[in-house]
Amino acid sequence: MTSSLKTRRRKEKWFRRMGFLSLCLALLFLGGILGKIVYTGYPAFFRTEVAAQAERPDLLNVHARYFLKENKKWITASDDVDMYYKHEVVGNLTPHQIQAIDSLKNQGQIRLVFNTGFFTHSDSREPELAGIWGGLIGSLLTLFVTFCTAFPIGIGTALYLEEFAPKNRFTNWVEANINNLAAVPSILFGLLGLVFFIHFLGLPRPSALVGGLTLGLMSLPVIVVATRAALSSVPPTLKEAALGLGATPLQVLFHHVVPMAMPGIMTGVILSLARALGETAPLLMIGMVAFIATPPSTFLDPTTVLPVQIFNWSRSSEMGFVENTSGAILVLLIVLAILNGIAIFIRKKFES
Amino acid sequence: MPLKIDVKDLNLFYGDKQALFNVSLGFPEFQTTALMGPSGCGKSSLLRCLNRLNDIIPNVHIQGKVLLDKEDIYAPSLDVVELRTHVGMVFQKPNPFPHSIYENVAYGPRIHTLFKDKTELDEIVEKNLARAGLWDEVKDRLHQPATRLSGGQQQRLCIARAIAVNPEVILMDEPCSALDPIATARVEELIDELRERFTIVIVTHNLQQAARVSQQTAFFHSGHLVEAGETGALFTMPQDERTQGYITGRYG
Repeated sequence: MTSSLKTRRRKEKWFRRMGFLSLCLALLFLGGILGKIVYTGYPAFFRTEVAAQAERPDLLNVHARYFLKENKKWITASDDVDMYYKHEVVGNLTPHQIQAIDSLKNQGQIRLVFNTGFFTHSDSREPELAGIWGGLIGSLLTLFVTFCTAFPIGIGTALYLEEFAPKNRFTNWVEANINNLAAVPSILFGLLGLVFFIHFLGLPRPSALVGGLTLGLMSLPVIVVATRAALSSVPPTLKEAALGLGATPLQVLFHHVVPMAMPGIMTGVILSLARALGETAPLLMIGMVAFIATPPSTFLDPTTVLPVQIFNWSRSSEMGFVENTSGAILVLLIVLAILNGIAIFIRKKFES
Repeated sequence: MPLKIDVKDLNLFYGDKQALFNVSLGFPEFQTTALMGPSGCGKSSLLRCLNRLNDIIPNVHIQGKVLLDKEDIYAPSLDVVELRTHVGMVFQKPNPFPHSIYENVAYGPRIHTLFKDKTELDEIVEKNLARAGLWDEVKDRLHQPATRLSGGQQQRLCIARAIAVNPEVILMDEPCSALDPIATARVEELIDELRERFTIVIVTHNLQQAARVSQQTAFFHSGHLVEAGETGALFTMPQDERTQGYITGRYG
């Protein structure tokens, strides 16, 4: 008896230690990844500028002279200069150029400023000019299409299956398939999108519409499963109470079941949208991998999205793009964190 | 005393399993009828037949007739939503909606639009809370969440909610089983008062409760109605051996 108690206690101790160790490992990995991305990515938010001077400002027009206050104008440097100034990486610079940069440094003619272009420019072949604006707009448009398709269809499907559908072989079969679809690799949805939306329906190729519809297909099963879980967690006694008062099934649903399930539904929807926002593979399948230097203005324009842009940049060998890749990852992470924050906020708000 | 509800040769099946066997029982108007018996004897199943709440369980089917005011409530022409406005229900566990006290009582009148304006709705809410003996306790906090009330108060709120739609019959499924003795006594008093206006059917496995609140008692065993009669007579001179065994505490 006492000896067995000892063994049980020892087992518990070990189990706790293992759990704590796992937690430490997880934190270590997370910290390592985040630290590396922040360390590599934060210089992308700054750019090097060189002061350009006019030899004879007196020959210029009035506006230009005003523009060239103190006879100089700050102009974005090339990425080689940028890398040398930030990290002392020589790269393709000649010794002569390096000398020139050092002398500019001594005269205060070169400086680091906040890289607004990183947020306001679209993609470019030149890392010092490339920005995430096009990808960000593309992501928003795509996500909007995803939301507009997956949200109503997903919620409607879940409501029907959970509350109205007869329990028979066919609905069981549909249920099992939806659950399986939620676990299907996302690239298969890309294939489906390619075949159906592009080849069959003939929608324009790398557009926000096709991307959004494809991601909508991918999000649907997740939303259905999450919504059904939220609906089925509403206590049946509440439904009975409302039915007992003479409420119709539809009234029971919209007066009681849906409001109570709302936090769960919204959490599921937002988390699946967050997943869609970070998704790359299915978009590569439908040709959203192209280099696009102008932000889309309609849903049919050629579009790129943030994660695809990160993927494209990560394939470039220039040091500047390595920095940009990590910088864009940081922006994507922040957007995802905001989405998750909204999910938590909505859940808390509906719960109270 | 005329019969408010008349159950005739009722058989109830959950899938292949039969839960009620040829039950025939009349419920006199403005009286309390107690359905009594050991767990799983079918008394709750019978209760749920009376407002057709069994309909929501898949694979239930029913043979026989249940007459409310001589009308068959299982007739195809009958609207089950309307039936439930005539036959209200109070459940085993207090189940107020997670809204305010006021909204709980107002919900029934709202969905059936039983009022003309806000003042009238206020009156309905006050009247029914008062009938349920809850008005004095909650009048200062009508707009607080109903879930903050104690268990006994919640159950009386559920009664107020049920009577706010002016039913004729109130079904009670072991309404005191989750309450302490003092709250139970309050609810039992209330049942006695409500009898003046409503026909009440109460399921209980508490013998004393059946004896205290009911005028008629029916004893069930494994889906069969063993015997039914005037409460005093059934408790003092049970005709059936099984009833006697249950009353004297030999099983159940």
